[in-house]
Amino acid sequence: MRRERDRLSVEWVKLELLRTAYATRGGLLAGRDPRVVIGWYLILAVVPWFTHNVTVLAGLFVVCAAAVVLSRVGPLILGLFVIGFVLEGLYVLFAAWLFGGDASTVLAMAEFTLKLATVSLASMAAFVSLDPEKLSDALLSLHAPAMVSFGVSYGYRMLPVLMEEFHTVVDGHRLRAAPLASKGFLGWRVAVRTATTLVAAFYPLMLNTAKRTRTTVEALETRGFTYAAEHPDGRRIRLAALRADRWDALFLGATLALVAVCFTVGRAFPLLGGAV
Amino acid sequence: MTSTEAATGPGPADAPAVEVSDLAFRYPGADHDTLRGVDLRIERGDFVAVVGGNGSGKTTLCKTFNGLVPHYWSGTFEGRVRVLGRDTREVSVGALSHLVGYVYQDFGNQLVRPTVRDEVAFGPVNFGLPDHRERTDEAMELLGVAHLADRFTWQLSGGQQHLVALASVMALRPGVVVVDEPVAELDPARAARIYEVLEDLNRRLGTTVVVIEHHAEYVARYARSVVLMADGAPVWHLPTRAAMDRAEELERHGIPAPQVVRVARGLDPAAPPPLTVTEAADRLRSRHPHALPPDRRAVRVAGSEPTGETVAELAGVRHGYRGVGGDLSVVLDGLDLTLRDGERVALVGGNGAGKSTLLRLLTGLKVPREGTVRVGGTDTRTVRPNALADRVCHLYQRPEQMFLKDSVYEDVAMFPRGRGRTDTDTLVAEVLDRVGLSGLAGRDGRLLSGGQQRRATLAVGLATSPALLLLDEPTSSLDTASRDAVIAMLDALSGTIRCTVVATHDMHLVAEWAGRVLVLDGGRVAADTDPAGLFADTALMESVGLVAPEVTRLGLALGVEPPPLSVPELVSRLGGIPAEEVGERA
Repeated sequence: MRRERDRLSVEWVKLELLRTAYATRGGLLAGRDPRVVIGWYLILAVVPWFTHNVTVLAGLFVVCAAAVVLSRVGPLILGLFVIGFVLEGLYVLFAAWLFGGDASTVLAMAEFTLKLATVSLASMAAFVSLDPEKLSDALLSLHAPAMVSFGVSYGYRMLPVLMEEFHTVVDGHRLRAAPLASKGFLGWRVAVRTATTLVAAFYPLMLNTAKRTRTTVEALETRGFTYAAEHPDGRRIRLAALRADRWDALFLGATLALVAVCFTVGRAFPLLGGAV
Repeated sequence: MTSTEAATGPGPADAPAVEVSDLAFRYPGADHDTLRGVDLRIERGDFVAVVGGNGSGKTTLCKTFNGLVPHYWSGTFEGRVRVLGRDTREVSVGALSHLVGYVYQDFGNQLVRPTVRDEVAFGPVNFGLPDHRERTDEAMELLGVAHLADRFTWQLSGGQQHLVALASVMALRPGVVVVDEPVAELDPARAARIYEVLEDLNRRLGTTVVVIEHHAEYVARYARSVVLMADGAPVWHLPTRAAMDRAEELERHGIPAPQVVRVARGLDPAAPPPLTVTEAADRLRSRHPHALPPDRRAVRVAGSEPTGETVAELAGVRHGYRGVGGDLSVVLDGLDLTLRDGERVALVGGNGAGKSTLLRLLTGLKVPREGTVRVGGTDTRTVRPNALADRVCHLYQRPEQMFLKDSVYEDVAMFPRGRGRTDTDTLVAEVLDRVGLSGLAGRDGRLLSGGQQRRATLAVGLATSPALLLLDEPTSSLDTASRDAVIAMLDALSGTIRCTVVATHDMHLVAEWAGRVLVLDGGRVAADTDPAGLFADTALMESVGLVAPEVTRLGLALGVEPPPLSVPELVSRLGGIPAEEVGERA
């Protein structure tokens, strides 16, 4: 018996991606100036690589985890992260055992995993909080080429369109492709069918999208996109809307303070690898 | 004044809006001129409709106004185009966009920014205009989309997207606006709204409006002058009434005159053409002062008890979708419906009434949240969609989404070959022949014209030999000739297919083709009737945002009961020439 599901269905994945991309859930970082959010992200993405102290790393991990909670990261992204994290942990243990390593090997690899996890958490918190407009304005203000900042916002603009197109094409295959005689051992036929459908869906998807973009490119031309690339006025107006206030300063200050606390505590109570 | 404005300026005050002299244009690599010997003058403040068959050069002509031809499409360009006194070859596309705004037929793709406000502000901000904020607010206000300012553009309905696209070009305060086929992708009520907005812009701001249009009824009602294009050049440019007087000539170029014009001509070939239903009704009333008695002969056999075998059945169906906010919007609620053998069903209702959802439930791609859907006795919950596909075929609104392979032949053959039919080749050849595409079998479906694409998807559907055929808006964005071809093909299908359901906004299709009409409203079937019954119920029509064909509205205004569905029918009932002599089709 089939039934309509609100979770773990294709519809749900589509909605989750939209919620993530367009920061519809709000949260702590969503209210901040996008440049500050990017700055915050850069701090937490870089700092973990300067230490081997597990206490410090654990502290940073907690800070980032708290940011993830406060940024209201959705279940899909979080779920994928947890699955990835657990698999990575198992892999570390397995690899250490296979290559005859000991506790120190495990520890070294676990430390690396912890760093990666911290950076991942920071990325999730930051990018879930940036909607396409904010992200493209922030990139523009950081002197990224106009093409990059526009590309980012246009990519987001195309995301729902691409998802819809893709879903429609896959549905077409579901209806019109030959039914499978049997699922095969462990459902391998289903897996093969799914994989070939995804690949086959790519060709119509790209062609249909390419046809759409012709209008877009003409429209960009008539609306001064090229003009703006050559004249600074537009950039100035666009960036005038960006204004960091004292809450942004406070937010960055608090982040730096927390990082400092992590390092202080780490120095006082080094766990395991603290000697390095 | 900024440098941009100084560069473009309003131009000489007495210059016409558009002045084309001796223009010829050929796309790079093409073997003939798309435009040739074009001479055209559009006065300031005019409301011009550009009409003509497919491939007559309408769109290319309009793209010379905003400089996309020849700046962006660099072909062979001879002659001269002046817009508000400026030669388009000497001004850049960016600068010209302050003079001419352009709204595309596929307007959804011209929206490039995430939110409505950002979209409308995009032009003014790019050009660095200091008053960009006022312009943005003004344009949104002008088109009545200010309440949508913070919405994401992909959340909007088609009609709202069109208004936003129009607002975004109006933000540059152009003197000329070109709108390419606004009716093609919108339902009649929304298309009428776009035209009212354009009329308002034209009247209040004096904006010169140029529309490319296939539908003569909108031309007659809103335009002040008409340009007929054929073979890359204007045949004539006349005031609307004089243009409608040349109904036969328009018809030869694939633009059937509005139904009111044809009724008036059917009754009195010498009379000047009426442009609106009201005008036609007033004139006919003075000619036929006696109240028109109900014509008994014309009463159709309506509401006869259904007898056919059940093809599909929905009982207590409830279905809806989750939004980005996580809320469930219920589309169908407590819907009961039986579809029977031999029926031609039109499914009508406003946007979001659940027409597409109902079709998807019948294919089994979706299963209802509550209630049951049975197709040929099988509960759709118990089988996979591809098992149901043997009985049900669904043709999408946008035909290009149905092309999964790289040739029409492969697309048509996909289903029967996959099901192991040994006679696949014969079947495909037969089906392609039937839709008249045998010669194009090797082409990629995406590269065909709109009408050919639609016929190709019909071939895909026929090759599945379904008992139940579902079509979503099969006539949208087709010109009149292709539309008639599709309707004729649907007519011819009735022998092969047991039941056909068409979800549509096209009331001409309903009038000409349907036997049974289901009106969806508030999640259930609000009315189950026939075309005449639907059009007679004006309160219902209004509440679900439908507009009856002109001839029906004219008949109702004259008190003809039951309302006429075609031009010949009304003419004969008004005592003119017998129906057979007036012509075959409304």
